[in-house]
Amino acid sequence: MANVFSIMIFAFIGGSGRYLLGQAIPVTTGFPWMTLCINLAGSGGLAWLSHAKRLTATWPTALTVGLGVGGCGAFTTFSTFGVETVRLVVAHQWGIAATYVVVTLLGGVLCSAVGVGIARRWGTFRLEEQ
Amino acid sequence: MAGLAGLGAALGALGRYGTTRWLQKVSGNWPVATLLINWVGCALLGLLTGWQIAHLWLVLLGTGVLGGFTTYSTFSHEVVMLLDQRRFAAAAGYLSLCIGGGLLLAAGGLWLGWQLT
Repeated sequence: MANVFSIMIFAFIGGSGRYLLGQAIPVTTGFPWMTLCINLAGSGGLAWLSHAKRLTATWPTALTVGLGVGGCGAFTTFSTFGVETVRLVVAHQWGIAATYVVVTLLGGVLCSAVGVGIARRWGTFRLEEQ
Repeated sequence: MAGLAGLGAALGALGRYGTTRWLQKVSGNWPVATLLINWVGCALLGLLTGWQIAHLWLVLLGTGVLGGFTTYSTFSHEVVMLLDQRRFAAAAGYLSLCIGGGLLLAAGGLWLGWQLT
């Protein structure tokens, strides 16, 4: 039950944060880079959080689950990414659509890998990872 | 408005947590839950966007519920974990299915929404 409340609180922060960022810096260039930045930052954050066991071991489980599933999970979004891409295709902005998909994919995997790498290098119990 | 988006995201994230826990029992070590969640979210957000519902509802249901229900961070983390386990075919398959299916469903949702207006 603590997990559920924690997820809801952090998802509220993540979701409203995503909305506020979109409002504060509206996209005018046609390239949806705000969603891109949000997804890349969230990917790095979740990957780091999932592997930084030396740090999270001292936290209550609900905090780790809430930050990961709720915070990072709700901050990032797949549906907006999909609909934005389709709208670019419908508007015949092929180049922007393709660039958006490729940068989101490669960037997301890269940020995730970097997050895992940083956590494994400095944030885990050495014995546990072996 | 931000509170509305946050409230929706809290409900969406809770739905994702429940769905993931429920599907984990049957899906083994394939990230089926995130795939299905992102597919459903893409289709529904396409529908809502194409239907041109009132801005208030779009913030609550679109930015909030569906934005919080679907997730990109878990998706990319799962891809990296599959690569880490040297399951390259599974990683490529998961990535292609999620992106390809997500875009197709978003397009289908948008088209259906346009028909409804």
